[in-house]
Amino acid sequence: MLINTVLMFLRELLPLCLLLATLLVWHRTVWRSFALYFALPSVLMLSLISLKMVWVSEQLDGLGLELLYSFLYLSCFVLLCLSALKAQWALLSSALAAACLFSISGSNLLLYIWLPTQAENTPADLVLGSALGVGIGASIAVLWYYLLSELKQWRISSFALLLSLSGARQVMMASALLLQSDWLPAGPQLWQTEQLLSEQSELGFFLQALMGYEATPSLSQLLLYLLCFGLLFWCCSLMEKKR
Amino acid sequence: MRSLRRYLVTVLIALFTLISFVAALQSYKQSASRAEALFDQDLQILASSLSQQYQAGSQQQLGLALQVWQKGKLVYRSALAPETSMSDAEGFSEHNFAGKRWRVFRQTPTDLLTVIVAQPLTQRQQLADEVITASIYPVVLSLPLQALLIWLVVSKALSPIKRFSAQLSSKKANDLSPVELDQVPAELDQMLKTTNQLFARLADAFEREKRFASDVAHELRTPLSVLQVNLHNASQQWQRCGINDPEGSMLALQAGVERMSALIEQIMLLNRTNPEHFQARTEQLDLAGLCRQVVADWYPHIEKKQQQIELLGLEHLSLKGDAFALRLLVSNLVGNASKYTQVGGSIQLELSTDQDKAMLVVQDNGPGIAPEEYKRVFDRFYRVGGDRHQSGTIGSGLGLAIVRDIVVLHQGNISLGASDFSSGLKVTVELPL
Repeated sequence: MLINTVLMFLRELLPLCLLLATLLVWHRTVWRSFALYFALPSVLMLSLISLKMVWVSEQLDGLGLELLYSFLYLSCFVLLCLSALKAQWALLSSALAAACLFSISGSNLLLYIWLPTQAENTPADLVLGSALGVGIGASIAVLWYYLLSELKQWRISSFALLLSLSGARQVMMASALLLQSDWLPAGPQLWQTEQLLSEQSELGFFLQALMGYEATPSLSQLLLYLLCFGLLFWCCSLMEKKR
Repeated sequence: MRSLRRYLVTVLIALFTLISFVAALQSYKQSASRAEALFDQDLQILASSLSQQYQAGSQQQLGLALQVWQKGKLVYRSALAPETSMSDAEGFSEHNFAGKRWRVFRQTPTDLLTVIVAQPLTQRQQLADEVITASIYPVVLSLPLQALLIWLVVSKALSPIKRFSAQLSSKKANDLSPVELDQVPAELDQMLKTTNQLFARLADAFEREKRFASDVAHELRTPLSVLQVNLHNASQQWQRCGINDPEGSMLALQAGVERMSALIEQIMLLNRTNPEHFQARTEQLDLAGLCRQVVADWYPHIEKKQQQIELLGLEHLSLKGDAFALRLLVSNLVGNASKYTQVGGSIQLELSTDQDKAMLVVQDNGPGIAPEEYKRVFDRFYRVGGDRHQSGTIGSGLGLAIVRDIVVLHQGNISLGASDFSSGLKVTVELPL
């Protein structure tokens, strides 16, 4: 169905678009280098994962792909911390962080497009759905970029907060995959906000992409989220102080 | 914002894409949901149409009409179907019966069996409308949002131009400082640079002109003073030596030098009071007191011409202005009145207020000026009647030009008119309080 394709593309592209827009505001003056550092590893990693997807998914008792994605999500977080801590590495490590996220999103989308269940979707559904998903994601990224630029112009320091939220979101995604693979103990559910704000609603979708909103988080997820958010925020604050 | 064009193009495309695509998705969801409901309703109608046959006294108006014919005999009909055949044509057609227009479908799978199904056209139209309306609503509702966002984005994009324009329009006549803007877009950058270069060149030109006029006047003043002293000494010597000057050449020469000195003084004053150059030092001052001082300064001259002068109206009139400039203004007006009024004439100064304005009226009973000359007398170096002014008074033609400049400097107004005396000129100066 058309709507499924749109949602799939949005789910994968929106977090990447938001992260890229945030990082582009940061590296506005050297955006060409950033684009280069981002594009090359992205294509390389995506090609590798796509080519070896079957092999990877069969590893570690069939948990290979989930664990690889978890690793990439965590790498994204670590690279974001590194970019905030080391000024000379900032451009490269932030581009690599975005490339990690791109390789996950890209391989998921490729998997969706070539999946046998795609027989249920007509090519028109797929083309139109992907166009709608890419269009909405890219538009949000452009508007997000100009909104952050505007905030920066008004001397409102939103960068540290947004980057920390984005970094913590990647850890949240990794933790969800690790929980699913039983690599992380599933603690008790802390709350249930599905009725208040559904993850499937427009706002829930956006918040999930921006900060990893989870309607039913476990204690271990929440602690991990807060710890990583605090750590990245501290790194960003250090960086802003150095400036 | 580096480029207005890039900002507007990218943001507007992003906005249009986002809103249009979200509206399209909403349309899709709404239509799908409506269609789902309609399909369910169709099932209900079919069930209801069949069950009506077995419900005595059913009054349901909505539903399908069904007929089953076997070997030309009606073997089944629903409650809404007539006893006669609803259609004789195979496939789709439209017919009237039971007071309605119906869309009918007739199928004959075998020679012996014919099935005819009919649905009211109004009902079909209503169902189609519901689906179409559900798909159009989000698109229509998104239009005001798009309009609002376009207005916001365009306003934001044009704000540097607005700020630039505001800075230019708020500039005072003598403010030639460069315009400074934050976040200048590429399209405005060259315009800003060119404007600032123009201001810089204009400031240089004014400075040069000011310095030139001032320097020339200053340089001429010293030799003229020497000339005046030498002329005076020569005149004394001629008298002592008994040299006659029947044609009055010495007196004419002295008058010429005196006129040139007055002209140079006026040029220097004009230079000082020009609104383009003059940096007014405004302070609270008493215009009435200032008038009294000027009258006192001019009194020896007035007395020499046996003229009467009186100061009427307010004894104190406080306003904000430049003391030097206003004193020069009153002095020029009183001086003009005295110079161009005949011996024994009258001069009158009157001070009053009118709402938020201070009014100074200076009038005399001299020969006055013809109304058609009123505008021209404010021109620099213009004298009524040219050099052969009927009064024979020495003048430069700059006095009223200086007065006008001072009035402009104080954002006031000056007008000329006929004197309240039987003849003469009345000058009315209005200054903001």
